[in-house]
Amino acid sequence: MSRPKALDLALGVLDHQLVDPDGRRCGKVDDLELEVTIGEPARVTAVLVGPRYWHARVRGPVGRLLARLGGGGGVKVAWDGVERVTSAVELARPASELGLGRGDDRFRPLIGRLPWA
Amino acid sequence: MKAIFQVALGILAAIGGFVDIGDLVFNVAAGAEFGFSLLWVVVVGVVGIIVYSEMCGRVAAVSKRAVFDAVRERLGFGVGLVALVAAQLVTFLTLAAEVGGIAIVLQLLSNLPFLALVPLAFIGLLAAIWFLEFEWIERLFGYAGLCLIVFVVAAIKLEPDWGSVAHGFVPQIDTGDPLVYLYFMVGLLGAAMTPYEVYFYSSGAIEEGWTPKDLGLNRLNTVIGYGLGGLLSFALMITAGALFLPQGIQPQLIGTVALGAEVPLGQVGLLLALVGILFAVGGAAIDTCFSFAYNLAQFFGWEWGKYRGPARAPRFTLAWLVLLVLACCVIATGIDPVMLTEYAVIFSAVALPLTYLPILLVANDRAYMREYANGRLANVFGVVYLVVILFVALAAIPLMLITNMGQG
Repeated sequence: MSRPKALDLALGVLDHQLVDPDGRRCGKVDDLELEVTIGEPARVTAVLVGPRYWHARVRGPVGRLLARLGGGGGVKVAWDGVERVTSAVELARPASELGLGRGDDRFRPLIGRLPWA
Repeated sequence: MKAIFQVALGILAAIGGFVDIGDLVFNVAAGAEFGFSLLWVVVVGVVGIIVYSEMCGRVAAVSKRAVFDAVRERLGFGVGLVALVAAQLVTFLTLAAEVGGIAIVLQLLSNLPFLALVPLAFIGLLAAIWFLEFEWIERLFGYAGLCLIVFVVAAIKLEPDWGSVAHGFVPQIDTGDPLVYLYFMVGLLGAAMTPYEVYFYSSGAIEEGWTPKDLGLNRLNTVIGYGLGGLLSFALMITAGALFLPQGIQPQLIGTVALGAEVPLGQVGLLLALVGILFAVGGAAIDTCFSFAYNLAQFFGWEWGKYRGPARAPRFTLAWLVLLVLACCVIATGIDPVMLTEYAVIFSAVALPLTYLPILLVANDRAYMREYANGRLANVFGVVYLVVILFVALAAIPLMLITNMGQG
């Protein structure tokens, strides 16, 4: 796994595009899970993706409403599953295996039925 | 030869993307109200759109990230969401206005009732988006939109006082009616720097698979393309200043815009003007329709792009499809497209800073942009324009209310 030596998590990871090995866009880094041990630097353990984590970004009723509108689902991707961080966060495994991009999967049959789609 | 062809295509695309119903309405109304004295504002607007389009084209080519990726990354989820809602509202209003413009031009060409032509506009736009490749959409609407050059010929044929025209390029304020003049300044800047232009331009760069090798093309496209768009804006304003101002005509209809070409050039002029307006506005309708879907997909991380095909980017496809239906429904209620255009342009001005600030920040990030980050020139222009659009954003709605949308 190759990563820059210093990575600004707020600027370089949070809110960035997730891309799987097939180049499929499959969500944004909606939040990060950190493990904090006293006396040691904090460690990122997972990337959190999906509406379930939006209410942590927008507090109050607006955040809750957004999470509900988005369907409330969420996926936790272990940081070990991150292959590389460039302008996107590149994942090591396909979106379908990680449970990502399910919104697009849900609408695919509908759009696929349209003529000449 | 291939490179020249590519540049030509980019130029055509930029013309199609620049001159839309907002530019048609505001340039002609400004010329009819203040003659040539607002020409300098068009220059300011054109330079602004060149600066920021070049920047976001460069960001897209180097990092493969478009405007709303940058908005989300730099403003975060909460503030980014505010920017998204503002952008989507303005883009929707603009799309509805463009659809109305298409129906009006079709009405002038066919004499059929307006309401019957809204579904025709819908079918035409849907067919173009569904069946044409991305590049061919640009080509068709760009080439046909070039008919607008008829206004350059019309402006020359009307033999305006060229001394007064030249004086119009000197920054000034009309002391007779300063508030209405300021309202038109804001409107012209809003129309020239409409946010959807940068949404579409940056996403289009990714649709076309630009890489850092295309940065020269990006620069040429923006400078020459928007420069030519600016030339058409000058022509519209000069035509209105020479023709409508002396006779006290206030153009309230899209048809009046086309009169500017008919009076000096006859039926051929009228026909070319209407075809030019039809395709320029049609191209802008497609740009806005896609921009809405691009923004949504980029903010939430969905798959997007016409190049992916409908089935691979289903939510993106659904977004533009639903938006197009909604815009046609709104315009079918009989709402006045010119009034809608004015609202769209003025609210665009308010949304400008939230669009342009993240672009400037990302274009300066060396971790992201490497050696392609902004140089000093791009930053000086970028910051100056950010200050300009901040003032424009703050002044837009108060001026709209005080001047009763420029009616005085």
